[in-house]
Amino acid sequence: MINLTIDHQPIEVEPGTTLMEAAGMLGIIIPSMCHNGDLPHFASCMICVVKDERNGKMIPSCSIRAEEGMQIITGDEEVREARKTALDLLLSDHVGDCEAPCQRACPAHMDIPLMNRHLAAGEFRQAYDVVIRDIALPSVLGRICPAPCEGACRRKSIDEPVAICLLKRIAGDHHLQENLPAESIIPTHKLNKNIAIIGSGPYGLSAAWYLQQAGFQCTIFDQNEQPGGALRYSVSREILPEVVLNQEIDRIRKSGVIFEMNTFIGEEEVDNLRKQYDAMMSPLDKAPKMAIRAAALGKEAAKRTHQELSGEIITGERRLFNSHFGRLEPEEAPEYLKESVQDARLAPSGGMTLGFSREEAMAEAARCLHCDCRKPNTCKLRLYADEYGAEQRRFAGPSRKLVRKNFQHEIVVYEPEKCIKCGICIRITEKYREELGLTFIGRGFDVVVGIPFDQSLEQGLTKTALEAADACPTGALSRKKEKK
Amino acid sequence: MEFNINDIDQIIESTGRETSAVIPILQAIQKKYHYLPEVALKRVCAITPITPAQIIGVASFYSQFRLQPVGKHMIRVCIGTACHVKGAGLVYDAICRELDLTEGKDTDASGTFTVEKVSCLGCCTIAPVVQIDGITYGHVSPDQAGKLLEDFKNQLGKSKDKTFRTALGREIEGEIRIGLGSCCVASGSEAIRQAVEETVESNSLNIKLKNVGCVGMCHQVPLVEVVPVNGDPILYTQVKPGDVRQIIEQHFSPTGFWKKLSVKAFNLINTIQDDRTWDGVDRYSSSIREKEVSSFLGRQISIATEYRGALNPLDINEYKKNGGFEALKKCLTGTSPAEVIREITESGLRGRGGGGFPTGVKWEMVSRQKSDIKYVICNGDEGDPGAFMDRMLLESYPYRVLEGMLIAGYATGAGEGFFYIRAEYPLAVQRIREAIRQCAEAGYLGQNILGSSFNFRIRLYEGAGAFVCGEETALIASIEGRRGFPTLRPPFPAEQGLWGAPTVVNNTETLAMVSYIMRHGATEFNRMGTNASKGTKVFALAGKIARGGLIEVPMGITIREIVEEIGGGIPNGHQFKAIQIGGPSGGCIPASLADTPVGFETMTELGAMMGSGGLVVLDDTDCMVDMARYFLSFTQKESCGKCTFCRIGTRRMLDILERLCQGKGKTSDLDELEKLAEWTRKGSLCGLGRTAPNPVLTTLRYFRDEYEAHIQGHCPTGKCADLIHYTINDNCIGCTLCAQKCPTEAIRFKPHEKHEIEQEKCIKCDTCRLICPVDAIDKF
Repeated sequence: MINLTIDHQPIEVEPGTTLMEAAGMLGIIIPSMCHNGDLPHFASCMICVVKDERNGKMIPSCSIRAEEGMQIITGDEEVREARKTALDLLLSDHVGDCEAPCQRACPAHMDIPLMNRHLAAGEFRQAYDVVIRDIALPSVLGRICPAPCEGACRRKSIDEPVAICLLKRIAGDHHLQENLPAESIIPTHKLNKNIAIIGSGPYGLSAAWYLQQAGFQCTIFDQNEQPGGALRYSVSREILPEVVLNQEIDRIRKSGVIFEMNTFIGEEEVDNLRKQYDAMMSPLDKAPKMAIRAAALGKEAAKRTHQELSGEIITGERRLFNSHFGRLEPEEAPEYLKESVQDARLAPSGGMTLGFSREEAMAEAARCLHCDCRKPNTCKLRLYADEYGAEQRRFAGPSRKLVRKNFQHEIVVYEPEKCIKCGICIRITEKYREELGLTFIGRGFDVVVGIPFDQSLEQGLTKTALEAADACPTGALSRKKEKK
Repeated sequence: MEFNINDIDQIIESTGRETSAVIPILQAIQKKYHYLPEVALKRVCAITPITPAQIIGVASFYSQFRLQPVGKHMIRVCIGTACHVKGAGLVYDAICRELDLTEGKDTDASGTFTVEKVSCLGCCTIAPVVQIDGITYGHVSPDQAGKLLEDFKNQLGKSKDKTFRTALGREIEGEIRIGLGSCCVASGSEAIRQAVEETVESNSLNIKLKNVGCVGMCHQVPLVEVVPVNGDPILYTQVKPGDVRQIIEQHFSPTGFWKKLSVKAFNLINTIQDDRTWDGVDRYSSSIREKEVSSFLGRQISIATEYRGALNPLDINEYKKNGGFEALKKCLTGTSPAEVIREITESGLRGRGGGGFPTGVKWEMVSRQKSDIKYVICNGDEGDPGAFMDRMLLESYPYRVLEGMLIAGYATGAGEGFFYIRAEYPLAVQRIREAIRQCAEAGYLGQNILGSSFNFRIRLYEGAGAFVCGEETALIASIEGRRGFPTLRPPFPAEQGLWGAPTVVNNTETLAMVSYIMRHGATEFNRMGTNASKGTKVFALAGKIARGGLIEVPMGITIREIVEEIGGGIPNGHQFKAIQIGGPSGGCIPASLADTPVGFETMTELGAMMGSGGLVVLDDTDCMVDMARYFLSFTQKESCGKCTFCRIGTRRMLDILERLCQGKGKTSDLDELEKLAEWTRKGSLCGLGRTAPNPVLTTLRYFRDEYEAHIQGHCPTGKCADLIHYTINDNCIGCTLCAQKCPTEAIRFKPHEKHEIEQEKCIKCDTCRLICPVDAIDKF
């Protein structure tokens, strides 16, 4: 048996035990990307480095075996810096968007590409569910939003941006017409806490909706006769018909939010409310110009209030690390179009007042380029980059590699520029004796994972495609359709 | 060439069909077709267990292999360190211009020539060097690109294999020794051999012509030594074919030829040397005329290079006459393996490949392993640009290295040895192959060697071009037919090496020292050197030095002694600025520290590394930021790509250095560069990545002011093309020479009037400055 210490805790292990395994026995989880179960060790990503305190050496714990007398440190300042530097380097050579530029540009951070994909597939209900996660007033905002998302849309550099705003509008409108079932509006669990919200504009409505959904009981106070604030009193009715606003507010009311209209809240009343309610939200000192921004801030404030009332650390909505790259180069347009359609941007045939028809919406949504990654929540590179505070631009080179997308395979997609060259997929094809399989081609910085003899991905991965896609630690190799 | 399936089948017949034969198979295919046709590779996969993934993985890893068709002739421009500091980049650019190659193309439109950069041809003393097929041109300057191609075309079709015939039946009057090391051959010794043959034949002289290995004086090649039967031998340097008749007649003409021997050697040399251009390309400046050979050889001690210049490399009997195989005999008759190891351990011999691991300890580790199969590998994968020790030793002393390997095999209990030699060293490969054959014939290889129970066989393996394969685990991966990815140690090769068996991997020079130690005893060896570094070290001395070449010096000699006494100082009146020792893993040591004694520890303390023995001298015209950039571009290209820190870290360091050399650096770049260098050193998996930052860290340490100058947009030495421009001063006599030579017609001229350079057209190729007869071109 071998005796060593890991983070100053003594442990005895069988000869042949790796440091990572030994740490695991002590409940210490060491991050790793290139290591995968029983596949042969490769030791390439260097995220799993730990330090041997006896000599200060940095060693990859996935492959180095425990030795007598080792004094391993798994996570001090220096080890964390090593991992961060490795991640900074990997990210400097990682060309891809975790989240699509449109989503990053959206003040409410709505998952626009996912909405688009549902719409393109005719799944209007699912599209609505995606929108409502981040935007409490889709029909309203679908009419009045200046759409910063469309400014960021990558499709813009090919022809014109996807008509995201109109698509969001139809996702919302569809359910104004179709009447959502009560269970999708009325929260199922209650937290038994009351919150007072002053003002019924987009900020207050948005905050109330999300807090109510989280189980709180919200009451909105407003001095006006009807709710909506600026939406009702500053926006032209032609652009935003009253019926749309009313229907959308009705949904919020239906969710259980109490509206106390014609109620002026002065300083004295505020003090009272503070005493009566578990929390109180004042209106913003300065209302933002964009309603979407106000709505987004309402959502954000709701999150913070929720955290506060739950006794959690107040962080607000946590945004994960985002890999991103600059403009789309002309050579990249065809790569992105592989997953889209060539058609030009549609204008609603019935005019802006009517918006898109279902068919038009499906066609327009299909123009989306699927800029977002297929593994935004499981990509280890993203998760570790987030954990270690990695900086993608730190080691930015003078030029970046061009994005390529390989759709030759029926069930998986290969995006080489997201590859970290860990070789897991190669080892999987070796393990299952794929006839062609995958291999490293070239060496050094220019090494790529490819199919021998320039054959298609379909021929390289005849039986291992799903296993390889699921094992890939990044979005380089992924399932074409999201795993259900 | 038409593809023929039978060719492939025949190749496999001779190489074997196992997966480990993949590299020899690819080498044979490439030899046949000059590239690797896809059909050929598919055929290999069809009839062997080699998979498509393996064959493509391997073919694309090693730089020797080409997957695209190439021109009829290959032009290899050496960009080794010595060539780099002497302007190889400009030569490469000039050749590309001459062939009209557009960006990204390497083959000319007619498909005649393909140009490639190679990391080092090991001919550093005649830098810059260009090789076209089998012909090597030395001292090439950018404006000679056209002549070079022309000369090559003229050489085509000329037969070059005349054999020497002696005038039979007469007493030998003397001996003429012709250096046949690569430097000599490259500088035309083959042509001289022919001239000697012809002269001897036409005069019916009775002279023995002898080919000898490298003398080490590579700065004076081609070398011819005349050894009269009585009288002192006389060495002629920088001999031209046209000189040969005169030399021979001086010594051997029927009337009164001995009389002329009273003439002192170097007077003679001075009368014969001239500065004529030869073949239109070989240019020597008169300032490197040799005065004394003794100071070059005087401070040297020959152990690995024992009997230099006197041994015919392949003459096994001559090797035996000069103590060859005595050490082996001593071992096999009455010295136990344990005693051999003790002797080597006591000698203090440390690995000469760079790491400096004690050889005795390594042998001991292998001998302790209980295994029926063990291997010895001679690491001759000398990839350092600016180093050619292994090449010289293998070419000139093949039997000595072989004897060392046999002793290593005996001591560790190994039954088989491998020579791993770069394919870029065809002469070394050829000599070792022949030496193995001769040894087998003479009973030094095979079963029951010298009547003992010791059996040993040797195979030769040609490396396919990957610097990382100098790392022992990557070298082993390569012999096994895989990509040269290093693996983590432990397990060490001494425990689990080639095909899982305990394996000794020793550097060529290390093995070349073994027989000396066994013959003379450990004390004779360890009395030389310093406390931690015993014996001698072979260096390839090149760069800005009057007398470059292969030298063997006792450890502990100072840098200054090497540069000034042996090397004869810096030529052309320039200042000694620094040495670059240890190649891409080593560092730059400033002239101010030149009194440091040479040894493993002392070099490491200075942030450099002994390395394998490349020693490039730099003068005041060399930019240290450019040097760092140069080495990083090398390691970056040679990184295997396995681990993050090396694959991307070296690239990002290079990005920063390139930015600096282009004058686009930011103040924060230096800190970031230092941090990244530090992490690449600490975080890389193998020696390549861990030492790659050394050139950066040492130049930052000793020449930080130059880095800072670059950030201010100024290159103090005027080396960085983006930071300089060329102008014409009042010295101009209006001779139009520069304008005639300018490849981009950037010089506006009127005869007899001062010319002018159009900055927008100037590509900073330096041609005008070199050609100007009156130093009227300024660069700043």
